[in-house]
Amino acid sequence: MIECAHVYKKYKNGTNALYDINISVEQGEFIYIIGPTGSGKSTLIRLLDGEEMPTKGTVKVVGIDVGSLRASQVPIYRRNIGVVFQDYKLLPTKTVFENITYALEVIRMKKPQVRARAKEVMGVVGLSEKGNAFPHELSGGQQQRVAIARAIANRPKVLIADEPTGNLDPGKSDEIMDLLERINERYGTTILMVTHDLTLVNKHRKRTVVLEHGHIVADLAEGGYVRHDQ
Amino acid sequence: MISRPIKEGFRGVGRHWGMALSSAIAVTITLVIISIFLIFSWHLHTFTKSIEYSMKIAVLIDSEHEDPTSEQLIKKSIEKLEGVKSVTFSSKEDEFQYYLQQYDDKAMQEAMAPFGEDNPMSDAYYVEVENGDLIQHISSEIRAIEGVADVDYGGQTTIDMVAAMETIRRIGAMFVAALSVLAIFLIQNTIKLTIGAREDEITIMRNVGATNGFIRSPFVCEGMIIGFLGSLIPIAVTVYGYYALYQRTQGVVFSNLFHLETPLPFITYIAGILAFVGIAVGFIGSWLSVTKYLRWKR
Repeated sequence: MIECAHVYKKYKNGTNALYDINISVEQGEFIYIIGPTGSGKSTLIRLLDGEEMPTKGTVKVVGIDVGSLRASQVPIYRRNIGVVFQDYKLLPTKTVFENITYALEVIRMKKPQVRARAKEVMGVVGLSEKGNAFPHELSGGQQQRVAIARAIANRPKVLIADEPTGNLDPGKSDEIMDLLERINERYGTTILMVTHDLTLVNKHRKRTVVLEHGHIVADLAEGGYVRHDQ
Repeated sequence: MISRPIKEGFRGVGRHWGMALSSAIAVTITLVIISIFLIFSWHLHTFTKSIEYSMKIAVLIDSEHEDPTSEQLIKKSIEKLEGVKSVTFSSKEDEFQYYLQQYDDKAMQEAMAPFGEDNPMSDAYYVEVENGDLIQHISSEIRAIEGVADVDYGGQTTIDMVAAMETIRRIGAMFVAALSVLAIFLIQNTIKLTIGAREDEITIMRNVGATNGFIRSPFVCEGMIIGFLGSLIPIAVTVYGYYALYQRTQGVVFSNLFHLETPLPFITYIAGILAFVGIAVGFIGSWLSVTKYLRWKR
């Protein structure tokens, strides 16, 4: 589902962000990418969602060679993946319902289907009653749920979550994790989650890839991680 | 059903009405100036054209030669002359009608109409020359042709004046074009500010897989709506202003030579042009500014 083969990324300003990254993620897998600030986590996400091109190597997601896409093809490619961000990235002037339907209108889904699907995913994330609320009227946890609902509305095969619990307290973080696990199990969605919340990683154990200074330093199939410098 | 971009465009104007208003005012100011220049330029154009028409050499046929054979001979002789561009026939009836049209007053026209029965006019040829400088020379040559009763042209001063007015009109047109560019620039900048404030929104739209066209269309509609709103005041000013001017002057400015167009349908054309320019300026301005934010880094 996700294949990174000998991926290097060097930015124009000379920063080397990733060195020889090799990751293979199977369909339906739930994987953490962890590492300190500057370890290359964000760069990896940018390569996966098509924002950046690898300097060397290939990045394949759902069988698409992301690095070789033309700029105009990137939006179409993104319809195959769902992305969730730490800061939710909801459209502030649109209601919860509109935020979700927007992602479906983009792919030119028919109106009745758009409404039905939006209602369905609002149910999945437990926000059926909040359709008319604006993002600023919701708590952080609720906003992240909306973001997740939007990301899965299009039934993507892959969900990329960039620090989805970064702005949430431990209780809310657990709820978000439960939700992601449920989506992973119910729909068989492949989930790649970037985090630096080790408590969460150790509590909800899954395959964990550790990045440091742009290198993969560990790929733990059993999950759980204790930093070697502690 | 209103399509999505139009609906979103209206919403955009409503949600960012402050920005929309400042953009619309920028358009309004430029369109008022453009409107004045349009009206001025149009009148200069018609005035020049009417003088140009009278600048043609009018060749009046001698009443004894007003038969088709003689007239054909005269026509051929004129056409043979060097520098003649065209020779158009005008019957004495046409001439009388043209004479009647010189009166703006309907009552006066009706009073003169009965004279047509014993038409005092002559058949005539109107000769267009290739170059205004030749007019004097050709006139004297035509005068020598048998069957020509009289030859008339405006004189050198008129030729020079027409050339001067043509130049003024061209400068006016350039000024209108420059103003349109200025309006585009103004609306582009204000819309750029509106969009700048919504850069995050654009990023989000992209993240959910929206193509550039999908993102751009509501912004472009918004620009067109703003442009149209900006054209409303200039249209109102033009319509009321022109009516007032026309009524006050009775359609005559400076002298009998310079007539104002009757308000209808002239003013509707100007209003249409203003609305079109407003919308077009909004379209181009918003297109340019949104495109800047849609450029891909890769």
